[in-house]
Amino acid sequence: LAANRTYSFKVVLLGEGCVGKTSLVLRYCENKFNDKHITTLQASFLTKKLNITGKRVNLAIWDTAGQERFHALGPIYYRDSNGAVLVYDVTDEDSFQKVKNWVKELRKMLGNDICLCIVGNKIDLDKDRHVSVEDAESYAESVGAKHYHTSAKLNKGIEELFLDLCKRMMETAQAEERAKGNGASQSAATRRGVQIVDDEPQATPAGGCCSSG
Amino acid sequence: MLQFWKNSKIVSLHKRPLWFHSSLSVLSPTEVGGGSWAFCFSSAVRSSLQKQQSLPVRPIIPLVARISDQNASGAPPMTVREKNRLDKFKQLLASPNTDLEELRKHSWSGIPREVRPITWRLLSGYLPANKERRELVLRRKREEYFGFIEQYYHSRTDEHFKDTYRQIHIDIPRTNPLIPLFQQPAVQEVFERILFIWAIRHPASGYVQGINDLVTPFFVVFLSEFVKEHVENFDVAMLPLDTQRNIEADSFWCMSKLLDGIQDNYTFAQPGIQNKVKALEELVSRIDVDIHNHFKKYEVEYLQFAFRWMNNLLMRELPLRCTIRLWDTYQAEAEGFSHFHLYVCAAFLIEWRKEILSMVDFQGLLMLLQNLPTIHWGNEEVGLLLAEAYRLKYMFADAPSHYKR
Repeated sequence: LAANRTYSFKVVLLGEGCVGKTSLVLRYCENKFNDKHITTLQASFLTKKLNITGKRVNLAIWDTAGQERFHALGPIYYRDSNGAVLVYDVTDEDSFQKVKNWVKELRKMLGNDICLCIVGNKIDLDKDRHVSVEDAESYAESVGAKHYHTSAKLNKGIEELFLDLCKRMMETAQAEERAKGNGASQSAATRRGVQIVDDEPQATPAGGCCSSG
Repeated sequence: MLQFWKNSKIVSLHKRPLWFHSSLSVLSPTEVGGGSWAFCFSSAVRSSLQKQQSLPVRPIIPLVARISDQNASGAPPMTVREKNRLDKFKQLLASPNTDLEELRKHSWSGIPREVRPITWRLLSGYLPANKERRELVLRRKREEYFGFIEQYYHSRTDEHFKDTYRQIHIDIPRTNPLIPLFQQPAVQEVFERILFIWAIRHPASGYVQGINDLVTPFFVVFLSEFVKEHVENFDVAMLPLDTQRNIEADSFWCMSKLLDGIQDNYTFAQPGIQNKVKALEELVSRIDVDIHNHFKKYEVEYLQFAFRWMNNLLMRELPLRCTIRLWDTYQAEAEGFSHFHLYVCAAFLIEWRKEILSMVDFQGLLMLLQNLPTIHWGNEEVGLLLAEAYRLKYMFADAPSHYKR
């Protein structure tokens, strides 16, 4: 039975304006890159299906707006999330400080239930780097997050980031399930978006991490 | 009364032109007016797109089409009715004291392209009704704006303002990114100046993402006065410097007038938007309980899709030409941007009733709601939308017991 499960996870992208949140998610969900996309207002919703060691995973992703004025809307998108991708621009020190603020807020509001990823984007501009690799990685470790480097432009590190996040979210979900005991897991798990549904006939999803790699 | 409204709605749906249902054919980047189209589709929407790829391509509709251009292939000559309308506008505008009430009445159902620039200047309260005073007022206001530039624009690098400027600077290239006009350095500089000056003169709100979009219709309409063909590819540097400056100053002042009426959309915590989204939810629960319950069932919150509708006045949901037509009416209405817009949003939502009710999960609903297929909309669709909005306003605005639970 275990192999036939479908996991549904909610993931939120947060970070300062113009660090590349939309580019990351468009690269991941659509394998597209265009440096001429439009400013995200409020948030955009995207989905991605993948297959990890025979288990289907449905991701529901909220790509949020970066401007401070929309900060108050944050909880609408991050509450009930299983994972958060906190993005900064490696050439912009301020955007890394913004990530730290988000970490504080998420830990305060959601505790340790949420898997955090800290992502230094735009490594194609590494020659202009303003955030050191050591600082970023040691900070991530200190707050129980994992650190990644990506380039949406060169399509580097993005599959790995989301695959890793999915595996962590699956482990968390399985641990939660074990803790609750069989059958009793429904209420707590579904509230947070973890749904385990019966198998249904379905073609192998294209673009999943296993089929693409 | 509700039943009556619903029946009429069905009739209007049947009147929809045939091409509407097959209009999702091939999309070229230049057709992407509002921009939201560039976003992702759910697999359901995508597959319906693919199914229709073989259908004939509709001609590209210009951003600022003549009234007769839209909803028709090619550009048929002006009809007698349109000619009469234009004459009526010209007559009103030529009078020593333009009757603004009368001008509003005629503008409600759309302003002919030829007289739109001056009519917008009058309706926004930027130009005086008295014809003799207009030239002087224009000269003074334009000078005043360039006085602001001289006085304040250098402060964009000051510690106090540099965050504001940075935000504007990163947003400008991301404003209408698919329309070549807005990629021209000269145009981007105009937008930066307009937005920076407005932001520092309005510290209660400052610059908020979305305000950048609101400059666009004014800029395009005032530019259209000097461009015979399609404005989307026009090289602004071809215009005399004075003309460029006048377009910039007029866009600044008219945008300022617009924002005066909706500033609480952009102040801390954006109360104007929060209230309007709540009001939209109330209204929809009254006029279409099926849609309302459908959202409840799949845990779709109005804020998740309608925030942007309010923050950007539907500009991200409609092609630019439709926004321009919509604003003819908003400027003709007493509180068009701040109040009537709510009814337009409700009518817009219900326009997609069938599509909404056919989606049976959260993902499908959200994907639909943030990518509504309006790409080939023109005057006809906007006209129907406005008529519905007017009916809703008439029924509910002065009847709080209808409107409230």
